[in-house]
Amino acid sequence: MDTKVWERCIARLEGDLTPQQFNTWIRPLRAVETEGELRLLAPNRFVREWVRERLMDRISDILAALPDAPARVTVEVCEEPPPPPPQAASQEASSTSEATFRRKDDRGAQISSLRPEFTFETFVEGKSNQLARAAALQVATHPGESYNPLFIYGGVGLGKTHLVHAVGNLMRRRDPRAQIVYLHSERFVADMVKALQHNAIAEFKRFYRSVDALLIDDIQFFAGKERSQEEFFHTFNTLLEGGQQIIMTCDRYPKEVDGLEERLKSRFGWGLTVAIEPPELETRVAILMSKAQQMGTRLAPEVAFFIAKRIQSNIRELEGALRRVVASSRFTGRPITLDFAKEALKDLLALQDKLVTIENIQKTVAEYYRIPVRDLLSKRRNRSVARPRQMAMALAKELTSHSLPEIGEAFGGRDHTTVLHACRKIAQLRETEARVQEDYTNLLRTLST
Amino acid sequence: MRAGGPRQLSLPLGPAEERGFASYVPGPNAEAVALLRALARGEATAPVIHLWGPPGVGKTHLLHALCAETTRDAGLPCAYLPLDQHELSPRALEGLEQLGLVCLDALEAVAGEPLWEEALFHLCNRLREAGVPLVSAARAAPAGLGLALPDLRSRLAWGQVLHLRPLGDGDLERLLREAARRRGLQLGEEAACFLLRRCPREPARLLALLEQLERLALAEGRRLTVPFLVRVWQGALEAAETLQGQEGGA
Repeated sequence: MDTKVWERCIARLEGDLTPQQFNTWIRPLRAVETEGELRLLAPNRFVREWVRERLMDRISDILAALPDAPARVTVEVCEEPPPPPPQAASQEASSTSEATFRRKDDRGAQISSLRPEFTFETFVEGKSNQLARAAALQVATHPGESYNPLFIYGGVGLGKTHLVHAVGNLMRRRDPRAQIVYLHSERFVADMVKALQHNAIAEFKRFYRSVDALLIDDIQFFAGKERSQEEFFHTFNTLLEGGQQIIMTCDRYPKEVDGLEERLKSRFGWGLTVAIEPPELETRVAILMSKAQQMGTRLAPEVAFFIAKRIQSNIRELEGALRRVVASSRFTGRPITLDFAKEALKDLLALQDKLVTIENIQKTVAEYYRIPVRDLLSKRRNRSVARPRQMAMALAKELTSHSLPEIGEAFGGRDHTTVLHACRKIAQLRETEARVQEDYTNLLRTLST
Repeated sequence: MRAGGPRQLSLPLGPAEERGFASYVPGPNAEAVALLRALARGEATAPVIHLWGPPGVGKTHLLHALCAETTRDAGLPCAYLPLDQHELSPRALEGLEQLGLVCLDALEAVAGEPLWEEALFHLCNRLREAGVPLVSAARAAPAGLGLALPDLRSRLAWGQVLHLRPLGDGDLERLLREAARRRGLQLGEEAACFLLRRCPREPARLLALLEQLERLALAEGRRLTVPFLVRVWQGALEAAETLQGQEGGA
């Protein structure tokens, strides 16, 4: 492959175009030169059309003026994966073992791989994910037998994907020949569309129905895609009849996904449906300590507590905050003390504080229970108002750094002991009443994401 | 949300080196520059980077520099997508996982648009799976962008989120004098201070102004001294007054 001609052409184009145009339309092209033909490969049809319409004449002109100009120049959409980038190569090399599963399906597309780092060993267990973890472990050791399908649901960044990969990795370790396919629901849709376009739907069906385990992430993205749901319905039935394991994740309870066919919703509930809740403080601390160790850093417990206390939304953002602190420490050469962490996360936390105010909590809670905000601040004490008020107070204590007297003041000038009582009451009800627990997690999720 | 809002000022078209990392005066943003340079060399540890800050801190400059160095050093194709450009559509995100790097600029322009957000979310997943780095830039951090899809927000917040800050006086002076030196001009300390006291503090606009001054100085065969600048300023003020007078009389 000699791209010298293209390089010279690029040098001329760079002078003709604005830096923005050059970076947007020329840099994504790959050039392949064969037998007097220059093939420009665009990543998608959008880029191809732009280059064809706006640049082909200019490119032809430039090439014509070069001594060893190719006779023909074409621009097409690249369908083959390029050689792996250097960043991916090291990962590839370390996981040539059975941990990574890659295979080419009939259409030459790459089937998604399991991430070797997502195992049960690296999954931090806590009250919020205990049940889901136990179910996943059971499925990994008895695939197709115990819970089929396994349906894991919960908010974003709580570890659903980690758990699914952990099952896949363990199954693979126990049976290296098992065909385990992990993919995101969007990939299923895209593959199906491609198969329809290439008249290869029979191969598509054969492939997905032949696997030993199908792990499919974020099925809420099937919503409104009727043809994909139809196809998935049949795949699902075939796998289930064959005793092949299915695991699905979703951001909500199956019945709550709008735009999903009823027959799918009901089938999703045939096996076991488990929730992952947002992790509580202790789990968040444990997660931070574990992630820090994986990054090769030791984190003082007080620093972990500080970060965990302030970032409550989800594990992914918790990890982002830790990453910021660790990188900042490495860059400046300063040790990670509590003050250092506060400084490094200043911007991030300021933003959080702006989002979670007592006022915002009152508004959200009032909307959730469909009562006016003024009722929360009023002296009324009947249950329909008192419970939401206690909930709002408990959330204010959990999510803001305001003191008990400050919170009491913001709720129509109440005493700090009233706030304390509310916090205790809600904590106790969360243990005994499922409804209260559900309200609490829903509100916590709404407020912190 | 894509309509309206101030348009991004593009950097003046100077020699190629003016768009690289070398011409970016890091000032308070040294960590971001170091991280991006490591990424261009293929040594980065963070596969997702989000840069945020007000207009004029050089987000676009850094993304362009990153693209240029990635192509030059690693020989990899890359994509740069300014999302405030109306000619782009979510279809432009297809297949980008085949490239070596993807840069998204002005992310705030599509925040709140369901089609864009979902397409970006899927892009994040495909890039992560393929091991391709993603660098985004916006006016705000992921939590402050007003994204409707929490999945997208948490994916952007998962990587390195870096706040870019405007340059201080000393750094701006250095920027001006270095840009002048690259153009073969002499710009003394006093002349640089004169400009900084009277001009917008965004590097892109300062450099555009320098380019205009260069043309004037060249035409008159003068150097960029304080007396010369004073004269240019007075001329510009008088011209503005005359214009105002004419408009008032009309």
